[in-house]
Amino acid sequence: METLGFLFHGFEEALIPLNIALALIGCFVGTIVGALPGLGPVNGVAILIPLAFSLQLPAGSALILLSCVYYGCMYGGRISSIMLNIPGDEPAMMTCLDGYPMAKNGKAPEALAISGIASFVGAIASTIGLMLFAPLLVRFAIHFGPAEYFALYLLAFATIGGVTGSNPAKTLLGAAIGLALGCVGIDPQSGTARFTFGNIHLYDGFQAIIAIVGLFAISEVLILLETHLSERTGAVAVDRAFARWKDIKGTIPAMFRGSLVGFVSGILPGAGASLGSFLAYTVERRFSDQSNTFGTGDPKGVAAPEAGNNAAAGGALVPMLALGVPGSGTTAVLLALLISLNITPGPLLFQDQPQIVWGLIASLFMANVFLLLLNLPLVGVFTRMLSIPLWALMPFVVMISFVGVYSLSHSTFDLVVMVGFGLLGFVLRKLDIAVVPVVLGLLLGGEMEANMRRALAISAGDPWVFVSSGISIALYAATILFLGLAVFFAFRKRRQAAATIEDPERAMAD
Amino acid sequence: MTARLSDRIAGTILFVLAVWFWITAGDYVVAFGDPAGPSLFPRIVAFPLGLFALFLVLRPDPNPEWFRWPQALGQIGTIVALFAYPFILEPLGFPLATLLITLVLAKILGGSWLQSVLCGIVVGFGLYFLFNYGFDLPLPVGPIFG
Repeated sequence: METLGFLFHGFEEALIPLNIALALIGCFVGTIVGALPGLGPVNGVAILIPLAFSLQLPAGSALILLSCVYYGCMYGGRISSIMLNIPGDEPAMMTCLDGYPMAKNGKAPEALAISGIASFVGAIASTIGLMLFAPLLVRFAIHFGPAEYFALYLLAFATIGGVTGSNPAKTLLGAAIGLALGCVGIDPQSGTARFTFGNIHLYDGFQAIIAIVGLFAISEVLILLETHLSERTGAVAVDRAFARWKDIKGTIPAMFRGSLVGFVSGILPGAGASLGSFLAYTVERRFSDQSNTFGTGDPKGVAAPEAGNNAAAGGALVPMLALGVPGSGTTAVLLALLISLNITPGPLLFQDQPQIVWGLIASLFMANVFLLLLNLPLVGVFTRMLSIPLWALMPFVVMISFVGVYSLSHSTFDLVVMVGFGLLGFVLRKLDIAVVPVVLGLLLGGEMEANMRRALAISAGDPWVFVSSGISIALYAATILFLGLAVFFAFRKRRQAAATIEDPERAMAD
Repeated sequence: MTARLSDRIAGTILFVLAVWFWITAGDYVVAFGDPAGPSLFPRIVAFPLGLFALFLVLRPDPNPEWFRWPQALGQIGTIVALFAYPFILEPLGFPLATLLITLVLAKILGGSWLQSVLCGIVVGFGLYFLFNYGFDLPLPVGPIFG
């Protein structure tokens, strides 16, 4: 019952007027960002991090704002999937399959209402899961020493490799690029300047926040220029405002099934919301598609993936908060925020600053109520925003990124670095090297090195310290297992691709 | 089968970088009481970097479609505009520099002249007033409006 006590204190923190206001703003902005095609949760959160930072919000409030944006995106992504058949963000891809056919059959209000309620069910279920599982994981992680953390970071790279890219070698290469970039700057332990070319601007290293805005938001704009310009279709016309309850009722079990599948896949490090919605849809199809209605506008095919992606979003917060190892691209960006605020996630965070964790959990509950209220009656407002033309939207996004980064340090050098990372991100994505592992490497590199050196200092240089405990051996075994799986799937995919025809249009998955 | 040059070139560049990383890292001195020192971790990183770069050279994927005309023109224009912005921001001031770059980007994205100019004015001055007065985060105003 101590959980309830903590949650009560969390609500005391969440119900401060500032935090309520930030949660509302975050929900609203997040829904818009999620709804607009081309702007995913990663970009939305990345763009707003420098802002939250330069506004000097208290750590807990900044985390609440950005987590609400994150949850809001998950709600918003479905809107353009249903109305335009273009996913507003990547996790909403599966919602297109049945959502758009439903809208074309004149059931747009039902599709929007079902997906809104499914989002709520999934998000609430996963927030409860977060509340129950994160403390358990923390109790386990308290036994981790530096050697175990080193092994855990390795595991994070291995798991993110299995999902983000088709070619595991490229994912690991991305992680190595990120780790190498993370080495640039003054080494905090010895004071040695590394890989700086004597350039004073590089002594601080590449700030993760700036790199992230470039790698995600700026490269997204460049990618968007060649993909989305040509393929704009009109939104489906809606003639009724309200959904009928009898259409919604039958999908409720599907929502719960989707939530469960989504949450579990969200907890797995590296999997994230896209996998959550994919698995939820696949499972639901196996479970209840008796008359082959999936793909033609089956309401259950809308409910399951929407519950799944929202549940996965919450699930991905579990390893991020409890271990400091993000479960998805967006939680990696949230981790960057925490690190920049000098908060180290993990057991110590739960012990020393419980008000941050529990304040966040409480405001996620609050945010979901806001989001349901925003998304059911106001869905028309968000739908109308889909017609904002790209020429008005994208320059605004770019300028918000610029102004956010500039107000961090008032350094135009940082802006050049940001654009440079944007170009790098564009080239990497063209080469099918996912940028999430790069960001993860850049983020975790510092802690990984510190833990490695601490472990070696404790053992007086004896390298066997890394395999001296059962936990680290288990973590290495899991790492090898995940890498093996990734290689196996990649080989199978290669053989399948070779068996058919060579497909030049590979999907950009990140 | 095509030459799959993209991955080979990228792999070669990254491999050279990895070797340079390894060699440079070796120069960093080991401090007393720190058995690993500042050079061990970069070397550990250089190893997989070089290894996977080599893999890219030996087992490359098919080339991506690098340019799609005429969109590539817009991309090049955008990159130039984005790199130009940091250099004109402080000399011209935030409102004017932002107006100009927003105008260029909006034009590239298919806005008409009138739409692009309006977009530039709204974004340039809107963000300036929002940040300067709303958020109390001062931005350079520049010589014209200063």
